[in-house]
Amino acid sequence: MILIAIILGCVIGALIGINLPMISYTYSGYLAIAIIAALDSVFGGITSTLKKNFDLKIFVSGFFGNAILAMLLTYLGQKLNVDIYLAAIVVFVGRMFNNLGIIRRYYIEKWSFNKEKKEEKEN
Amino acid sequence: MKKFKFRKDITAVTIVIFIVCIVLVSVTLMQFRTIEQTDLTEIENMRESELRTALSEWKTKYEEVYAQLLDVNQKIEEYNKTIIDNEAAAELVDEELKESNIQVGKTDVYGEGVIVTLSDGDRSVTSEHLLDLVNELRYAGAEAISINENRVLATTDIIDMADYSYIMVNLQRIEGPYVIKAIGNKEQLSSILNLKGSGFIPKSNTSGINASSKMENKVEIPKYSGEFEIKYMQEVEQ
Repeated sequence: MILIAIILGCVIGALIGINLPMISYTYSGYLAIAIIAALDSVFGGITSTLKKNFDLKIFVSGFFGNAILAMLLTYLGQKLNVDIYLAAIVVFVGRMFNNLGIIRRYYIEKWSFNKEKKEEKEN
Repeated sequence: MKKFKFRKDITAVTIVIFIVCIVLVSVTLMQFRTIEQTDLTEIENMRESELRTALSEWKTKYEEVYAQLLDVNQKIEEYNKTIIDNEAAAELVDEELKESNIQVGKTDVYGEGVIVTLSDGDRSVTSEHLLDLVNELRYAGAEAISINENRVLATTDIIDMADYSYIMVNLQRIEGPYVIKAIGNKEQLSSILNLKGSGFIPKSNTSGINASSKMENKVEIPKYSGEFEIKYMQEVEQ
């Protein structure tokens, strides 16, 4: 059911995204940082699901809150003439890799555990 | 795959994930399109500060070039002025030359004037008659004179040749009847020539030469056919 929701959401999102108007290049920086923040939240959500401590409120608030916060910080950085968005990217992407590592490790462990189990059964 | 504590949570999670997917994918695609569109030129990839630097550079260059352009334009204007001046000078010189040519007799001229015809009567016409006539015409204000189509100039000679058998004008032999043309105020010329007692025509007629004059509105006098040669004289430099 969730898989169907993901696929349907992606398809509808793609359709909407194609039909959405272009934004000016000046604001595309904010959008990019928002996308990175959202992706980070998604990976964070997957990780927490694997760890079995997924919380919908935290996920939703992280998804939208991080995006908006990142945009605001970028805006502030532009006003202060400091590239704050670089810090945001470092943090988000770093966390993304971290989460990806956790996910990878989880599945590898699961896979090797299953294999071992099979071998034990065969034996 | 995902496990939750309560079943009712699944619906909410599904809806949330659905919305999240829509938002994420649509925004990402929008961003892709924006970047793709603006990625075409390098300028749009530059940061604002870089753009500003480039802009100020170009502005400086533009100003320099503009100054050069102004300079060059000014020079062109100056040259044009000089050319116009030169042209004006050339025109002036041309006009002067034309006038000089007319005065000297290098051009065909026409205008109102009189035509005097002399022919032998009881006595034959001599150079003295012609000289008298030319002098009188000049006195009367004639601007151009010709004798049998020979232009009379300052250097013109009018002499009798071979014992009064013929007359030479401008070193060319001429024969009667003599037609003298003069351009000037025709009334004035005619009245002076016909003055009773002292005028050329009554005087000539009494002395036995057939002379007559008539006024014309258009008298044509040809240019001097010879050449002006200056061999000996030189201008005194002041």
